[in-house]
Amino acid sequence: MKRMANLNSWTVLAGIIIILLFLPNLTIISGIFTPSNENWEHMKEFVLTTYIKNSFILIVFTAVLTIIIGSSLAWMIAQYQFPFRRFLKWALILPLSIPPFIGAYTYHGIVNYTGVVQTTLREHFGLELNPGYFDIMNLPGAIFIYTIFLYPYVYTITRVFLSQQSASLVESARVLGKGPWQVFFQVVIPVSRVSIIGGASLVILEVLNDYGVVKYYGIQTFSTAIFQTWFGLGDIDSAIKLAASLMGFVIIILMLEKVLRGRRQYSYSTTKVRPLPRIQLKGAKAFFASSYGFIILSLGFCIPVLQLMDWLILTFGKIPMEEFLIYVKNSVLVAGISATCIVVFALIVGNFGRLVHGKISKLLPKLTILGYSIPGAVIAVAVVTAFIALDRFLAPLYQVLSANSTLVLSVSLVMLITAYIIRFFAIGYNSIESGYDKIGTDFRDASRSLGVGLTKTFFKVDVPMMKGAIISGFILVFIDILKEIPLTLILRPFNFDTLSTKAFQYASDEKIMEASQASLLIISLSAIAIVIFNKFLDKEPK
Amino acid sequence: MKKALYIILTFALVILAACSNDTTTKDTTNNNTKESKEVNLYTARHYDVDDELYAKFEAETGIKVNVIKGEADELLERIKREGDATQADLFLTADAGRLFRAKDEGLLQAVSSDVLDEQIPANFQDKDQMWYGLTKRARVMIYNKETVKPEELSTYEALTEDKWKGRILIRGSENVYNQSLLASFIEINGEENAKEWASGLVANFARDPEGGDRDQAKAIVAGIGDVAIMNTYYFGQMLNSEDPEEVKVAQKLGVFFPNQETTGTHVNVSGAGVVKTSKNKENAIKLLEFLSSPESQITFAEANYEYPVNKSVEPSELLKSWGEFKEQEIPLSTLGENNAKSILIFNEVGWK
Repeated sequence: MKRMANLNSWTVLAGIIIILLFLPNLTIISGIFTPSNENWEHMKEFVLTTYIKNSFILIVFTAVLTIIIGSSLAWMIAQYQFPFRRFLKWALILPLSIPPFIGAYTYHGIVNYTGVVQTTLREHFGLELNPGYFDIMNLPGAIFIYTIFLYPYVYTITRVFLSQQSASLVESARVLGKGPWQVFFQVVIPVSRVSIIGGASLVILEVLNDYGVVKYYGIQTFSTAIFQTWFGLGDIDSAIKLAASLMGFVIIILMLEKVLRGRRQYSYSTTKVRPLPRIQLKGAKAFFASSYGFIILSLGFCIPVLQLMDWLILTFGKIPMEEFLIYVKNSVLVAGISATCIVVFALIVGNFGRLVHGKISKLLPKLTILGYSIPGAVIAVAVVTAFIALDRFLAPLYQVLSANSTLVLSVSLVMLITAYIIRFFAIGYNSIESGYDKIGTDFRDASRSLGVGLTKTFFKVDVPMMKGAIISGFILVFIDILKEIPLTLILRPFNFDTLSTKAFQYASDEKIMEASQASLLIISLSAIAIVIFNKFLDKEPK
Repeated sequence: MKKALYIILTFALVILAACSNDTTTKDTTNNNTKESKEVNLYTARHYDVDDELYAKFEAETGIKVNVIKGEADELLERIKREGDATQADLFLTADAGRLFRAKDEGLLQAVSSDVLDEQIPANFQDKDQMWYGLTKRARVMIYNKETVKPEELSTYEALTEDKWKGRILIRGSENVYNQSLLASFIEINGEENAKEWASGLVANFARDPEGGDRDQAKAIVAGIGDVAIMNTYYFGQMLNSEDPEEVKVAQKLGVFFPNQETTGTHVNVSGAGVVKTSKNKENAIKLLEFLSSPESQITFAEANYEYPVNKSVEPSELLKSWGEFKEQEIPLSTLGENNAKSILIFNEVGWK
């Protein structure tokens, strides 16, 4: 009986979290049922086809490229020994610290007519090349930006999986005479496909909800359609209807992911989880491995950071400095609290997914990550609506507490943090879920059969084994919230600025140079988080 | 062991509660005092100099300006959703079309003040006094001094002629300044003619629209096109850029105020209106008066190379050097009234 009660409290807790996370999405889903008006028809007739086509091209190419780059790097780091491997291992996560819209502005700043590339060619080599060669503001350019700043999703999740993967599978393959490519394609990819697909689906969702990059580059995507109907035509109903269609599309992707994952589970088969013994690369091979890592690192981190530093020097002293300490504090505060909540919630929901068997328990947690696919501004509207309703509901209570206002929660950080949780739950959940996938259920079952309760098992067995997944989930969410833009802008309380709102404000006024200070601080904070993350996890023998 | 779970949850709740208290206590104590000493501003204008002005306002009047900065449409939506409980007192944005929309959706209230009437000319006020313009900008032509003689330029309409094929640069249609530009043509020339103009201009584009206003200027010097349509202040920013390369580019370009012999150059304002349910209306009006006062106007406008609306204030040296010009003579609210129509036209003529 005790076991039953225990199971129920997990179910109830998970149920509450899922409902809370999902509730605002209902506002959006209900949009499907609003009758279409002339604006909707107009969008369909003139622009929707192009927008959908562009979005499709963007996500397909970005997904393929991030999978290739992310998983090959993860495999290289996990399998081989070569110069600078230990450094690259964590440094390759660094591109994640650069907000894509800042990356987009920065790369355009580098290659445009007044940028360093064309200026140098003109002045030192007398070369006046066709400026079309340097045009980055197009579909391939946007794909490049997304790929180079988002591949770490695939890389991190896959690497954590591979580095802790029991070596026996790979070793067996080697013993059976498989070459490195065969091992990679026939063993590593199938075994780690949960992680790879998990990472890639985060990339896809991120690309779908992004508006900053495509807006600046003049590429019209599905997000454009949403904002055009909302802001341009002032028709929020049609905008929400569009967002709902997008959500439908995402549901299909998620189902596809489930199918691709299949039923097969690869979990530890022995108690000793040994890291893979790495093969020492020598000569040209070692050189190529290091170079590959450094090229990606340069494109995704060093080059944009150097450019931002250059701009920082140009504008230094022109920007009020005193406030920046407060922005740093604010950024860290909201990101830290939200990331903690997300990890805790994801552990609970993920555990529920393992405890209760059946289609619904597998599908429900998936629904909570829908929020990640919707452009932030649309989520914001849903969250504001929900919080104002909540405030009105609680108004009598506020009166008792002698608060002289109807709006209490919706003008506090609670609203913003809730919105972050709804939006970024997917990131945390993905890490945690792949952690649960990896440890399987054997140890839990063993613990349970020895008479240990569910909750105790969770803390004594599951959580310690999941440490890697928990930390990587936390860090990914933390970094994402540091960079976050539309939610923070719309949902913040009075007089509350963060580094990302500062960076965005300058950039949106076409003052990218002035944005460099805030951007570099975001990047530094994220980099510190990544270093800590690495120190904590990096326990491999030298 | 269930306890541990509860502890975690309680912990999370306490943190949440703590940070909510942090921000709400301030508000409540302030609201309780009889005479309110604050004003809550939702603004889509976010220059550093704005903050300095708000600080100065507080020093002079003792009224604290609480600010949420964001994008115009999203802030509007937030005010709308908050309804009569909203704490916003003043809504400030950088486009007359958005001000019209705020009024149209019943979010603003009429306020009158002799000071405002004296400081802000009638054509920069809403006809029902629901909003007031604070700074002015013109959407002009920027041309390559080497390849284009200013005599060749005349009107916006003339840019659709064949001679400009492949030479025109302008940013995308999602940009509100372009929407307001087309909206003004719908008002002046009628919808049909405006559509014809838009499709004629698209036919003369040097490339698919991309980037911001500054990028159009750079594209001229890069040889992609010869004439760009952009806002005056972006050109001012480039001339005063920290990046010497941008200054070099700007110096190769000239400014032309179109339609001087005909309907006038397109102008727009940034402005503000008092929110309908404002609880600090008097303070909001004081802030408006302060921002349009001669002393503030110099800073408020010059910081962004804009024209002051207050006639007693001279524009900056740079703007004066470009000379005076004839402005479009349409009520600015028409920019908002025709905004949706211009979006539909942009989509139909394929202006990306």
